[in-house]
Amino acid sequence: MDTLWQYQFRIILLGDSTVGKSSLLKRFTDGIYSDVADPTVGVDFYARALEIEPGVKIKLQLWDTAGQERFRSITTSYYRNSVGGLLVFDLTNRKTFEHVREWHREVSEHILPHHMVYILIGHKSDLNKDRKVSRDEAEQLAAEMGIRYVETSAKCNSNVDRAFELLTRDIYELMKMGEISTRDGWDGVKSGLTAKVLYPADEDDLAQEREKSCNC
Amino acid sequence: MSDLGIVCKHTNVSALNEETIEDLTELEDLEEVYLQLCNEQKQVQAYLQVLGDQQGTIENKMQLLQRMRPKLQLIEGDASQLGGMINFTCSLAENVSSKVRQLDLTKKRLYQAIQRADDILDLKFCTDGVQTALQSHDYEQAAAHIHRYLSLDQSVIELSRQGGESSSVETSLALLKEAEVQLKALVTKRLEEAVAADDLAQVERFFKILPLLGLHDKGLALFANYLSNQLASKAQDNLMLAITSDIGERRAPMIFVDTLTLLLEGIARVIETHQPIVETYYGPGRMHRLLSHLQAECDKQAQSVVDKFIQNRDYQIKFQVVQASMLKGVSTEKIVLRELDAVLSEVTLMNSRSELYLRFLRRRMLADFEVADATTADSVSQEHLQDVECLLKECELSRRMQELIGCYIPMEEYYMRETVNKAVTMDNWEVGQMTSSMVDDVFYIVKKCIGRALSSNSSDCACAMINLATNLLENDFREVLVSRLQVGYPSSTLADLQRGVSSAVILMQSSLQHGKIHTHIESQEQAKNAYLVTLNNVDVCSENISTLKKNLESDYSKLLNQGAGSEHAQAKIDSCLMDMVHTSSKFKDLLQEGLLELNNSAIKSQVKPWITNFLSFSHNIEEEEFGEYEANDPWVQQLIVQLEQLMAEFKDSLSLAIFDALTSLMMNFISMEMEKTVFKCTFSRLGGLQFDKELRSLVAYLSSVTSWTIRDKFSRLTQMATILNLEKVLEILDYWGPNSAPLTWRLTPAEVRQVLSLRVDFRSEDIKRLRL
Repeated sequence: MDTLWQYQFRIILLGDSTVGKSSLLKRFTDGIYSDVADPTVGVDFYARALEIEPGVKIKLQLWDTAGQERFRSITTSYYRNSVGGLLVFDLTNRKTFEHVREWHREVSEHILPHHMVYILIGHKSDLNKDRKVSRDEAEQLAAEMGIRYVETSAKCNSNVDRAFELLTRDIYELMKMGEISTRDGWDGVKSGLTAKVLYPADEDDLAQEREKSCNC
Repeated sequence: MSDLGIVCKHTNVSALNEETIEDLTELEDLEEVYLQLCNEQKQVQAYLQVLGDQQGTIENKMQLLQRMRPKLQLIEGDASQLGGMINFTCSLAENVSSKVRQLDLTKKRLYQAIQRADDILDLKFCTDGVQTALQSHDYEQAAAHIHRYLSLDQSVIELSRQGGESSSVETSLALLKEAEVQLKALVTKRLEEAVAADDLAQVERFFKILPLLGLHDKGLALFANYLSNQLASKAQDNLMLAITSDIGERRAPMIFVDTLTLLLEGIARVIETHQPIVETYYGPGRMHRLLSHLQAECDKQAQSVVDKFIQNRDYQIKFQVVQASMLKGVSTEKIVLRELDAVLSEVTLMNSRSELYLRFLRRRMLADFEVADATTADSVSQEHLQDVECLLKECELSRRMQELIGCYIPMEEYYMRETVNKAVTMDNWEVGQMTSSMVDDVFYIVKKCIGRALSSNSSDCACAMINLATNLLENDFREVLVSRLQVGYPSSTLADLQRGVSSAVILMQSSLQHGKIHTHIESQEQAKNAYLVTLNNVDVCSENISTLKKNLESDYSKLLNQGAGSEHAQAKIDSCLMDMVHTSSKFKDLLQEGLLELNNSAIKSQVKPWITNFLSFSHNIEEEEFGEYEANDPWVQQLIVQLEQLMAEFKDSLSLAIFDALTSLMMNFISMEMEKTVFKCTFSRLGGLQFDKELRSLVAYLSSVTSWTIRDKFSRLTQMATILNLEKVLEILDYWGPNSAPLTWRLTPAEVRQVLSLRVDFRSEDIKRLRL
C-alpha cells in the first residue's frame, strides 16, 4: 500500500464452508468473480484501503477463513486479533443461516474479555428463486444479536463494497468514542506519520486507565 | 469577363438591360436607374482596378510557367520510359513466377501422389506384416504396423477406397481393423496379466506398446496399478515392522514418521525411475494422469500409517483431554508432558515430509505440463494448472495431514501453556542474577513450540502458533508479572509496613487464585528483591520478544526460499509477527508503570524529607554563619550521602537501562522538590552564595552517578541560583533579554520576580519596576 493510511483494522470473515466468503472478498479486493471456486485452505490474507471520510484512510487487513472443520484450530487463532467480523451465510442454504448463531457465540466467547464488531451478511442474493431465508428472519436475527444486516452478491457485485464500508464505519465510530483503543504497533509508514493499529478493546486496560492517578 | 457577370448579378443589375431603360419614363425611375448604373460602374471600375493590380503577379507566374515548360517535357519523357520499364518487368515476373508456381504445384502433386502410393503400399505392408507379427507373437512389430496404419491420413484411405484398387484396399482395411481390435485386446490382456504376475519386464514391454495403439490412458492406468502393487506391499511390510518389532529407544518416538517417510520416498523414487519411460513412449503431459493413479495408492497407504499412528499414540485421546482442559480452564486429567512433546514432534515432521512430497509432485507435474503445453492455448494450460492444484489439495494425504495439524495446534498450545506454568511455579532467583529463571525458561519454551510449528512446513500452522504464543505472552504471562508488581515495593516507614501486610494478603489471595503455592515472602529484603527482579524480568521480556520476532522472520524467510508458502504466505507471517511488536511494547508500558510505582513508593517518600530539610537551617545569613557552614556543611553533604545509600539499593539489582530510567525519574523529582522548597525560603546575599555552592555540589554528584548529562534537568534551579546571587536588582538586566545569550531562560518573568523577592535585601518596588 503506497497510499497513506491513518488506521489499520483487522477484519475476519466467518461462516460455514461454501457460503461464499472467498468470493465476497475477491470481489471486494480484486473486483473479479469466478464461478469456479476452490475451498480455502487454512486462511488467506488480503488488504484494501477505504476512505470513509475525506482525509481519513483506513487500511483493512482482511482474513479469509476456511469453513471446513479441519482448519478450525488455525482459524480460531486469528479471532483475538480481529476487531471486526463478517458473519456470512448463504441465502439459498438454510443450514448455514442456522449456524450463524453458533458462530457468533463461539467467537464472542473465545475472545472474551475483548469484543468484536460484527455485521451479518446474507450472501448469494442473486439466486432469488432459490432463496431459503427471508429477509425478515435475517433482520430479526441481526436485531437479536445487535448487529446490522446486509444482503450481498459477489456475482452481481451487489452491496459488496457497502457491507465492508458499513462495518468499517461502525468500528471507526466506536474507536472515536474511545470504546476501542489504538496502539502504536507499526512504524512502517514512510512519511513519518505514525499509523495506529487497532486492537480489540482491552477491558482490563480501560479499567486500569480509570484507576491510574496523577503521579507527579 | 464572367466575373463581371458575377459582379453584375451581385448588384442586382442583370434585369437592367437597354430595353428596360428605354421603357422608363418617370424622372424618379430614371434617376434611380441612373444611380444604380453609376454604382455598377464604380464597382466594375474597382474590380478592374484589382485585376489590374494583379497583372504584375500574373505576368510573373506566366513567366515561371514558361521557364518550367522544357523541364516538364523532360519529366514526361522520363515518366513514360519508367512506365514502360515497369510494365516490362511486371510481365517478366509474372511469366517466371507463373512457371515456378506451376512447377511448385506439380511438385506438390507429385509428392502427394508418391505419398499416397507409399501409404497404399504401407497399408498393404502393414496388413501383411500385422498378420505375420501376430502369428509370431511379435507384438512390437504388430503394434508398429498398427501404429503406422493409425497415423495414415484418413482422407487418403478414403480416396484409396474410391480408387481403382478399391476392392483390395477394402480387404486390407478390414483386415487391419480386425488386427487392430485383436491386438488391442491382446496387449491389454497381456499387460493386465503381467501386472497381476508382478513381471516387471513384461509390464514394461506391453506398457511401451499400448501408446502405439492409442491406448495411452489404459496403459498409464495399468502401469500405475503395477507400481501401486509394488508400493503397497512394501508399505505394508514397513508398517508391520514398525508396530511389531523392537525398535531401539532412539527411533521409537519416530517410527511413524520413519514409516511415512519410507512410503513417500519410495513413491518419489518410483516416479523418478519411471518418468523417462513414460516421457519417451507416451510423450509429455502424461505425468498428471499417472500420478493421479499413484496418489490413490499413496493415499491408501498413508491412511494406514496415520490410522496406526493415531491409535498407537493415543492421539485422539490426548486431543480430547486437551479440549476438555481448555474449556474448563483447570486441568482435570493430566497428560504426561514428555509423551505429548514426543508426539507433537512426530506429527509436525510427518506433515513436513508430506509437504515436501507434495511439492515434489507439483514440480514434476508442472514441468511436464510446461513441455506439453508449450504450443497450446492459454485456457488449456490454465486448466492443467488447475488440475495439478486440485489433485494436491484434495488428495486424502493432504486432508489427513490437515486434520492432524488441526488437532496438533491446540495440543501444542496446551503443551506450551502447561510448561510455562511449570516454569513460573519453579521460578528461582539466585544472588547476583539480574533476572529470575522463569524468563529464560518461558522464552525457551515459546521458541521451541513455535519452532516446532515452523518445522511442519505449513505456513498456516506456523502463523497459528505465533498467534497463540503471542496471546500467551501478552495476556497470561504478562499477568504473572503484573501481579508481582502489584504487590508493590516495600519501604521502611510505618505506613508502608502496613501496606506490606496488606500486600502480603493480596499476594496470598492471588496465589490461591492461580492454584499455585507461592513462597511466602518472609523479609522485606526478599520483597524488595522480588520487585526489582520483576522489573528486570519485564525489561528482558520486552527485548526477548523483539529478538524472537527477528529470528522468526529470518527462519521463515529461509522456509519460503525452499518453496514453503502459498501466495499470501509472506503477508500472513508479517502480519502475525507485527503482533509481537505490539506485545513487546505492552511489556515496555508495564516496565514504565513499574518504575513509576517504584519511584513513588521508594524514592519520593524518602527523598522528600531530605530535601525539605533545606528549610531547617537559615539562608538568611551573614559572614559568621557562612563561615560556620563552610566548616560544617549543614545539608548538602548529608543529602548526597543519603542519595548514595538510596541508589545503592538499586544500582546492583537493576539492569543498567532500568537503573538509568529510575535515576532519571529521581532527578526529575529532586529538581521539582528543590524548586518548591527554595520558593519557601528567604535568602540574604551570602545565603544566595551558600545555595549556589550547595547546588553545584549536588549537581556535580548527580552528574557522576549517571551516564548522561543532567544539566538540563537542573537548569531552572541553576538560573534561580544565579538570580539569588545578584549584587543588586538591576543586575538581572545584564543577563536578560538581548544580553541573555548563551543562556536560555527557563523561568518566566513572573517567576524571575518571584525569585528576586526571596532576597530579603531586595526592595519590592525595585523588583516591580523592572522591565522584563
